[in-house]
Amino acid sequence: MGKKQIKIQIKDLGFYYKNQQIFENICIEFENNSITTISGPSGQGKSSFLMALNRLWESIEGAKVKGTIRMDFGKGFENIYHKNYSVTKLRQRVGMVFQVPNPLPMSIYKNIEFPLKLRGEKNKTIIAEKVEQTLIESFLWEEVKDRLFTDAGLLSGGQQQRLCIARALVLEPQVLLLDEPTSSLDEKSVQVIEDLLLKLKKKCTIILVSHHIDQVDRIADNKLVLSDRRLVQH
Amino acid sequence: MQHREHIAGIIFWGATVLSAGVTLAVLVFMVILSLPIIKNDMILEVLMGPWSPDYGLFGILPMIVGTLCIALLSLVFSFPVSLGCSIFIEIIRPGKPGRFLKKFVRLMTAVPTVIYGFVGVFLLVPHVRGFVSHGSGMCILSASLMLGLVISPTMILFFSQSFARVPKTYLNAVDALGGTQFQKFIYLLFPQAWPGILTGIILAFGRAMGDTLIALMISGNSVMLPTSPLDSARTLTAHIAMIIAADFGSIEFKTIFLCGGILYLLTSFGILLARFSAGKQN
Amino acid sequence: MGKNVWDMLLGFFAWCCAILLAGSMILIIGFLILKGYKAISLELIFANTSPLDALLFKQQVFGGLFPAMVGTFFLILLSMGFALPLGLASGIFLAEYAPGSIKKIFSLCFDILAGVPSIVIGLFGFSITILLHHSFNSQIFPCLLISALSLAFLVLPYIIKTTQVALESIPLLIRLTAPSLGATKLENIFLVLLPASISDITSGIVLAIGRCAEDTAVIMLTGVVAVAGIPKSIFSGFEALPFYIYYIASEYSDQSELMKGYGAAIILLLICSGLFGISHWGKNRLTAKTRFNY
Repeated sequence: MGKKQIKIQIKDLGFYYKNQQIFENICIEFENNSITTISGPSGQGKSSFLMALNRLWESIEGAKVKGTIRMDFGKGFENIYHKNYSVTKLRQRVGMVFQVPNPLPMSIYKNIEFPLKLRGEKNKTIIAEKVEQTLIESFLWEEVKDRLFTDAGLLSGGQQQRLCIARALVLEPQVLLLDEPTSSLDEKSVQVIEDLLLKLKKKCTIILVSHHIDQVDRIADNKLVLSDRRLVQH
Repeated sequence: MQHREHIAGIIFWGATVLSAGVTLAVLVFMVILSLPIIKNDMILEVLMGPWSPDYGLFGILPMIVGTLCIALLSLVFSFPVSLGCSIFIEIIRPGKPGRFLKKFVRLMTAVPTVIYGFVGVFLLVPHVRGFVSHGSGMCILSASLMLGLVISPTMILFFSQSFARVPKTYLNAVDALGGTQFQKFIYLLFPQAWPGILTGIILAFGRAMGDTLIALMISGNSVMLPTSPLDSARTLTAHIAMIIAADFGSIEFKTIFLCGGILYLLTSFGILLARFSAGKQN
Repeated sequence: MGKNVWDMLLGFFAWCCAILLAGSMILIIGFLILKGYKAISLELIFANTSPLDALLFKQQVFGGLFPAMVGTFFLILLSMGFALPLGLASGIFLAEYAPGSIKKIFSLCFDILAGVPSIVIGLFGFSITILLHHSFNSQIFPCLLISALSLAFLVLPYIIKTTQVALESIPLLIRLTAPSLGATKLENIFLVLLPASISDITSGIVLAIGRCAEDTAVIMLTGVVAVAGIPKSIFSGFEALPFYIYYIASEYSDQSELMKGYGAAIILLLICSGLFGISHWGKNRLTAKTRFNY
C-alpha cells in the first residue's frame, strides 16, 4: 500500500455567521483523487464548510472563519488564507457546483467560455476546443452540440446542472466542491452525474455534500458526517 | 488587477461621499447665507413678526403659518380619500378594478405639478370665486384642494402597501372566526397597518409643505396672517420664488435663505419621524 | 344582519373615494384637453419658421414652443450627464461595498436629500452661483449649466436608491456564481450584477428624466427665462416648457397666448406620461428577457 497523498489539510476550522457559531475546531484531511461525501442534518453548516474551502463566504456579509486550511496544488502545501493569497486564483483551482443549477443568462457556449474569459484567454480556437472538451467530459455534448448558442436557461434541470459542472471544470480545477448537486434532479440525471464524478476522480479531489445514503454508498471513498458541530467519520 | 479593484472601490466611495456632501452642503449654504439675520439679532423678529418691507418689518411668520395651514388642510382633504382608495384597492375590489386603480394612481405621479397649478388657475379658482362670492378665488382652500390631489398618490400607494403587508395568516384567522370584512378592517388590518399609514401621512405632509407651484399659482400670496381658509396666504416656498427677484443686498433678500433653512429642517425632521415610524411595522 | 350594513358602508365609502379621485383627475385632464386640443399644431411649436430650418437650428423660432422644448431637452441631457455617473457609482457602492452601519447612514442621508423641497434645491443652486460669481468669474450668472447641476442634485437620490435596490434584490445564488468561477468583485458587478438589474435601473433613470422634464421650482431660481431662444451656450439663459406654462398662467395678455399655454400643458403632459409609460413598459419587457431560472 503506497503512502496516501494528502491534498487538503484542515486545522481548527470554525465558521461563524452573525456571531452565531456554526461549527468549530474541525480537523480533517482529504486525500488526493478521492471522493469524500459529507452528510448530516440540514442547517448544520455543510454548505458553509464547502464555502470555507474556496473562501466564497467572504462575499457574504456577517460570515467569519477561523483556523487554517492548506492545500497542495503540486508545489507543496499553501495556506489559502494567507493575506497575499489570490482568492481568484484559488477559485480557478477549486471549483464549485451549487445545489440549484445556476447558469448565467447567456448561451450555453458563453456560459462555458465565461471562466476562460475571466482568466484572460482570448484565443477563439482554444476556447472552442475547451468548450467542446468539457461538454464531452460532462456527458452533455451530444445533447447540445447543435444548439450551443441558444439560451442556457432553456435546458432541463439535469442538463443545466451538467452545464454548471462543465463550466466549473473548464479551468481544470484540482479540487471540486459539490453541494448536493443532484438533489433537485430526476433519476436518470442523478445516474449520469454520479458516473461523471467517478470518472473525474482520476483528475480531481472531490468533496460532495449529499443526503442520499445510496448515493453515498455508491460513490464515496470516504464518508463524513457533520453533526453537532463536529465532522466525524461515518 | 488588485490595483484596479482598489481604485474602483475608492471611486465608488468617493462618489457616495460627494453625493452625501450635497445633502450637507444645502443646509450649510442656507445657514451661512442666513447669518446676517442671525448675527444682527434679528432672528426672533424675523421668525415671529409680520412681513412689511416698507416699514422695515421682515417677519416670515405669515409664511410659516401659510405653509402649515395649506399643508394641514390638504392633508385633511386627502387623507380620507386616500384611505378610501387604498381600501378599495386592497380590500373591496382587489382584483382587476383594484389593480386598475393602482395603475391609475401610479400614472397620477407622472403629472407635473405645474399642470395641476395651471388647471387650478383656470378651472378651480373661478368656481371657488363664484361659490364664495367674494375675493379672487385664490386662497388657502383652492390651494389645499389641488394640493390634496397631488399628495394623494403618495398616501394611497403607501397605505396599500401597508395593508398588503399584513400577514395572510392573521386574515385567515379572522375569517375562520366568522368576522365580517368591516370587522376585519377595524380590528385587524387598520391597527396592523397603522405604522405604515402614519409613515405615509408624514411623508405626504412633507411633500405638501415642500410644494411651490400650486401655492404660488393659486393661494393668493398675500402677506397678511391668514384667519380663514378663504383668505389668501403665502407659503415659505412661494415666498422664496417671489423674493428672489428682489435687490440682492437687502435684508428682504436674505430672509429667503432663512425660509430655505426652515423648510430643510422641517422636511428632514419629517423624514426622520417617518423612518422611525416605518421601523415600527417590522 | 346588522353586520352586513357596516360592510356595505365600507364598500360604499371606498367606491366613493375611488370615483372622487378618478373623477377629479379625469376632470382636470379632460378640461385641459378640451380647452387646448385646438391649439395643437405645428404652428404652436414652430410659429412662422419652417420646421426643418428650426430643427437644424438654421433659423430662430419666435412665438413658438420650440425653444422651450429644446431648452428642456438640453436640461435633461446635461443634468443626467451629471447625475447618472454619480448616482450609479453611489448606488453600486451602497449595494456592493458598504458595510451595514455605513449603508444605513448614507441611506438616511439620501432620504433626507430626496425630501428637501425642490425650491430649496433651486436656492442651493442659486447660492452656488453667488459663490462662483464672487470667487471665480464675475461673468457667471444663473444659466443652463447651473440649472442642470441643480436638477442633477434633485434627481440624484432617486437614481442612487433605484440602483441600490435593484442590485440588492439579486438573489444570493446569482451573486455567488461569478466569484465561484474566479471573478473579481468588479468583474462580478459589471459582467453579471449590473446586466441582471439593468431593467430596474433603466426604468428608474427614465423616471428621473421625467422629473427633470417637469420641474419648475429649481429652474425658476437658476436661470430659466420666459424668452431666450435656443440656448447659445451652457452659460446662457434658456427657456423651458414647465416654466412657460407657469409664466402664461400669470402673464398672458390675450386669448391666443392663453391657447398656447394650454397647448404647452398638453405637450408637457404627453412627454411626461410618455416617459412614465416607457419606464413601465421597458421594465416588463426587459425583465422577461433576462429572467434567471431560479
